[in-house]
Amino acid sequence: MSGTTKSKDNKTEPIAYSEAALRNNAIVVEYCRTSMAALSGSTAGVLGLTGLNGFAFYVLSVITLWVMFMIKAGPNWHKYYVSRQSLLTNGFFGALFTYVLFWTFIYGMVHVY
Amino acid sequence: MAELLLDPHIRFWVFLPIVVITFLVGIVRHYVSIILSSQKKIELLQVQDSQVMIRARLLRENGKYLPRQSFAMRRHWFNNEETGYFKVQKRAAASQNPMTDPGMMTDMLKGNVTNVLPMIVIGGWINWMFSGFLTTKVPFPLTLRFKPMLQRGVELAYLDASWVSSASWYFLNVFGLRTIYALVLGENNAADQSKVMQEQMSGAAMAMPPDPKAAFKAEWEALEITEHKWALSNVESDLLSITEDKN
Amino acid sequence: MSSFHKIIVFVGYISLFHSAFSAAQHRSYLRITSQEFTTLPLDIVVQAVASLFAVMWGVLNIAGNLREIPAAAELNTLTWETQYNMPSFAIFNHRGKAVNQSKYVPSSGKAELENTEL
Repeated sequence: MSGTTKSKDNKTEPIAYSEAALRNNAIVVEYCRTSMAALSGSTAGVLGLTGLNGFAFYVLSVITLWVMFMIKAGPNWHKYYVSRQSLLTNGFFGALFTYVLFWTFIYGMVHVY
Repeated sequence: MAELLLDPHIRFWVFLPIVVITFLVGIVRHYVSIILSSQKKIELLQVQDSQVMIRARLLRENGKYLPRQSFAMRRHWFNNEETGYFKVQKRAAASQNPMTDPGMMTDMLKGNVTNVLPMIVIGGWINWMFSGFLTTKVPFPLTLRFKPMLQRGVELAYLDASWVSSASWYFLNVFGLRTIYALVLGENNAADQSKVMQEQMSGAAMAMPPDPKAAFKAEWEALEITEHKWALSNVESDLLSITEDKN
Repeated sequence: MSSFHKIIVFVGYISLFHSAFSAAQHRSYLRITSQEFTTLPLDIVVQAVASLFAVMWGVLNIAGNLREIPAAAELNTLTWETQYNMPSFAIFNHRGKAVNQSKYVPSSGKAELENTEL
């Protein structure tokens, strides 16, 4: 089954994806997302953001990471990801917990005492 | 409400040690469970059974591409009353109770030793050692409903809900550092307790060895009622019609 | 190339830590002089955010290469030797040997099979 044909008139033809490659990419994305959450949480703590500012900073850094992924993949991103939207939204809340933990941690270290 | 001023020594003698202890305990648990884990042994008979099942299924599904006689021969080999594989092979019914299986028992014990025990011991120790400190303040406002969650061990009615006590800070770390373990130790690590617990829940159903006797019986029945309908009976005319269309 | 990114991550971490330290110092200074905390000095903010972006970019490049996900991309690189090896179709016990018993010469095993294939 050839997955390279992307004709516009024949939308229904399934594209075969390699399972191993998909999993490898998911692991890489997950790694970057966790690092991003921890790092941006630390930065938010350093900056002393409180309340909604901190959550806005999280959204900002998620978008920044997404843009960085797009820059890395280049113009033919569909060779690496199934969809750009799911890359942006997947694991949003899972990483949010890590973010909040690091944010609280560094905020406590720097600003509370 | 006036801003509380915490002693800076709490930062280095309570706040930071809890994070470090929680993290290192997770790492140690990962390696201990690697040491204790035992590889599941695969028995030759099981592999044989599963391969036979696969063959029978293939024959049932794709038998239409075989001539009638070939199909009948293969089915005969599986299903014949005297010599058929499914009739001859006698498998003992699988042991139903996992408690009787000593290997299963030790596995469960090991899982408990590496997961539940450290959680209780370290949690109790942290509670005893660092009890009664306010450690930090979450940088966002919270409602009063979070007070019992975040201020365990500090029962002050008028304290703002965003302050975190030491015991609660430990539990926040236990649950929050999970993704960091995935980062440091790689995927599917043993320090991740929630996954292990999930496995224990669903594992009971999945790890149960499928009863070969019942499976053989079912496969025998399915094969018995399979009707052979040769798919290639009109192959010549089909081929000719294709070529005629093209010309 | 990879070591370059590792250096970026390392320097970024140190810079982030330094900015955290500066922020803590600033807070204690404000507390001693009993001033009200409003915002951090601009240089600390810039340093923290810049080092965050640096570390993120470095981690992104350290994390590993993305592989192309269409299955065809991998299948294209396979050679015939890999494809030809089909264990499901291996025949070890052909019935022809019963028909033609006199001329049947048993092969000496797997080694010989491999030799004839190459």
